[in-house]
Amino acid sequence: MNALEVLLNTLTKLTEETRLSLANLADAAGDLTVPSVRLGVTGLARSGKTVFLTALVHNLVHGGRLPVFSAAAGHRMTSAKLQPQPDDTVPRFDYEAHVNALVTDRVWPESTRQVSELRLTIDYESASFLSRKLGPGRLHVDLIDYPGEWLLDLPLLNKTYAEFSAEAFRRARAGNRSEIAAAFLDTAAKTDPSDPENELAAQELAGRFKEYLAACRADTHALSMLPPGRFLMPGDLDGSPALTFAPLDIPADASAARTGTLRAMMERRYEAYKSHIVRPFFRNHFARLDRQIVLVDVLHALNAGPHAIADLEVALSEVLSAFRPGRRSWLSTILSRRIDRLLFAATKADHLHSSDHDKLEAILKRLVARAEERARFKGAEVDVLAMAAVRATREAMVKHRGEELPAILGTPLPGERLNGDCYDGNTEIAMFPGDLPEDPELIFRQDESKSEPVRPSFQSAQSELQFLRFRPPELDTTAEGMTLSLPHIRLDRALEFLIGDRLA
Amino acid sequence: MTNPESASGRKPTAFRLDDRNVRMTDDETSTPGAGEALITQAYLADEEPRLPRSVSTPKSGFRFGKWLMIGLGGLVSLAAGLAVDTLIRDLFTRTDWLGWTGVALAAIAALGLLGLVIREIAGLVRLNRIDHLRDKIQTAADEDDARQATAGLRELIALYRDRPETAQGRKALAGHMREVIDGRDLVKLAERDLLSPLDLEARRIVMNSAKRVSLVTAVSPRALVDLLAVLFENLRTIRRLSALYGGRPGTLGFLRLAKHVLTHLAVTGGMAAGDSLASQVLGQGLAARLSARLGEGVINGLLTARIGIAAIAVCRPAPFVSDNGPTVSDFMGELVSSAADEEKKKEE
Repeated sequence: MNALEVLLNTLTKLTEETRLSLANLADAAGDLTVPSVRLGVTGLARSGKTVFLTALVHNLVHGGRLPVFSAAAGHRMTSAKLQPQPDDTVPRFDYEAHVNALVTDRVWPESTRQVSELRLTIDYESASFLSRKLGPGRLHVDLIDYPGEWLLDLPLLNKTYAEFSAEAFRRARAGNRSEIAAAFLDTAAKTDPSDPENELAAQELAGRFKEYLAACRADTHALSMLPPGRFLMPGDLDGSPALTFAPLDIPADASAARTGTLRAMMERRYEAYKSHIVRPFFRNHFARLDRQIVLVDVLHALNAGPHAIADLEVALSEVLSAFRPGRRSWLSTILSRRIDRLLFAATKADHLHSSDHDKLEAILKRLVARAEERARFKGAEVDVLAMAAVRATREAMVKHRGEELPAILGTPLPGERLNGDCYDGNTEIAMFPGDLPEDPELIFRQDESKSEPVRPSFQSAQSELQFLRFRPPELDTTAEGMTLSLPHIRLDRALEFLIGDRLA
Repeated sequence: MTNPESASGRKPTAFRLDDRNVRMTDDETSTPGAGEALITQAYLADEEPRLPRSVSTPKSGFRFGKWLMIGLGGLVSLAAGLAVDTLIRDLFTRTDWLGWTGVALAAIAALGLLGLVIREIAGLVRLNRIDHLRDKIQTAADEDDARQATAGLRELIALYRDRPETAQGRKALAGHMREVIDGRDLVKLAERDLLSPLDLEARRIVMNSAKRVSLVTAVSPRALVDLLAVLFENLRTIRRLSALYGGRPGTLGFLRLAKHVLTHLAVTGGMAAGDSLASQVLGQGLAARLSARLGEGVINGLLTARIGIAAIAVCRPAPFVSDNGPTVSDFMGELVSSAADEEKKKEE
């Protein structure tokens, strides 16, 4: 890097920080009348962000069963309602459509394609005399939904094009990916970075790169560390030059590219991607969070095997390093917001029996160990739990051939298969998904001892763990024909940890 | 995972509920036929076989005191038996009917004794059960173990089954136990829904007794009267608290309970001294503004409250998890103000 670049980088950082501080000042002024909490729901694609938000809002608005959430359980919460959101340029989170999909059609919401926002206002009476008399008795909770793929862009903010390229190639050549990446690697080998710039070559290489990323994400591999995120979920920028670049085979400390070469073009587009897409996304939605919940779909990765788990670990620690945990003080709330409570949640805990929840928690704890330690060191409170925002199954014991199996009852999604049996989406089954290991290290250790490149799909069907996806539950109705709120597992505990203290 | 070291031999399996070989049942004891799968829909996880009770019971060392008691008790019983025997013999030597009357009376006395012993034992057993229950719930809360908490809370519900005033709390708690909630949270819920009315009542009992003690101390003419009144009042409080929380101890059980309260007081006294020192000093300051007698009354009342708090900790079938339970300072304000009222009345 030359001196000019260093100076430029410092300048961008400075302006970013100033902008953030100004925005925080504005927020702090607004909070003087009614305080607000910005709840960051973080999770890679398909980890259940939309379902979590829908269930959270639904349970609060409809007075669902939340015994551990003290404000609701203590009958101190008088109402929770949806309000116009603060940002006028961001689409509204389509809560009604999502609830309708879950409750009436019994399907999970489709994957999110764009950022959306929602403001939930909670009226409550504080339990302490002073704040009941002096406090506003009202709290805005700002919720944001976005495609989880985009989260993978955040680590790119601190990487140059050369670093990004080197890492992308290292990953593509790793044992577990080289087969999937073959086509992309071939094309890249034929491309010379110092050729004159050529739009068609760039398009072809970018196309191969996108195909390779998409293949990695398919169920059989379920890999997570696949930046840049917009390549998987382009949003409204599909086909624009900022999304038509690909890593080139250059070392991480390569000297600057000559102008007019293919590499210079790619580098320019990469920088444009960072400054016009990633940085605004980060600034608008993540830099000013108060509370954060990190949703992790551990079961999906377990289904696909140890490589998927290892990949998930890398992706999580890279993504989480972009956030700012820390202790809250009055000065810090005015100038720079810090995440003072961080919750790691293993989602879809209803897909296994509750006796295994502790083991699931242990696995998640091991997965996010680094991020957890960092947050604790910075003074934030951290908790780890296994939860299901919407509980799609019930629990049962199955006695069969002299064995007692802890099982779950539910209706698998159409097309799910187990032991060669394919389900049509209407059959209810009792399912034993296998035993999670007592020691979470076992899952990670296997990774090192194993050398097989890709697990053939038939083998994973025979493995000792298999989690099917279930349809949303059928809701009971009361005598008056009212639908009850969505059932859940530990959503109330998550809520208590995330916003309980602001309603105390 | 296909690694042999993690292999438990249990492969993932699924059973279609509309299959002919799959049967749903509510009876957990029934066994499936050949090739049949039997499904019991469970709201709660089934209990694992537990370790025998002896494992968790603390082993007591060699007790010489016990030997002494056994020896002396045996001797006294022998002496009593001998006395009764000689008495009946003497009666028979006088006239036969007097002798038979003596035998009948002795039989009645024996029956009464038997009944008494049975009741004492039942009382002791109940106290034991409460002690064990408290330990169990405490470990469940410490380890955040939902299974153990559920088992403990089921026992708790069983303990209060014949107490109609807890009906609502029991129902709410049974509802919570059907959900998937963590151990520690479950214990907190039990505290809030089932025990909080009892806690309120216990607080009231201790408050009233403390007030009575402070009043008696203030008006009693002699120190001995004070002492007796305080002793009587405290014993009564312990007994009432125990009955409130479901202990219903007999005489022996009561003695044991009183011993526990004293031990608890001795153990926590040191620790409580730290946190309540300030309040006590403050209390004395307030008391000093009252007349000397009333001040003394307040101090005695505070001591009674202290014993009451220890008694609550000993009698309550669950530990205090979400907060630390009542403290002396909770009682002090009301005690002082009632003493001040008393003084005003006197002046009028």
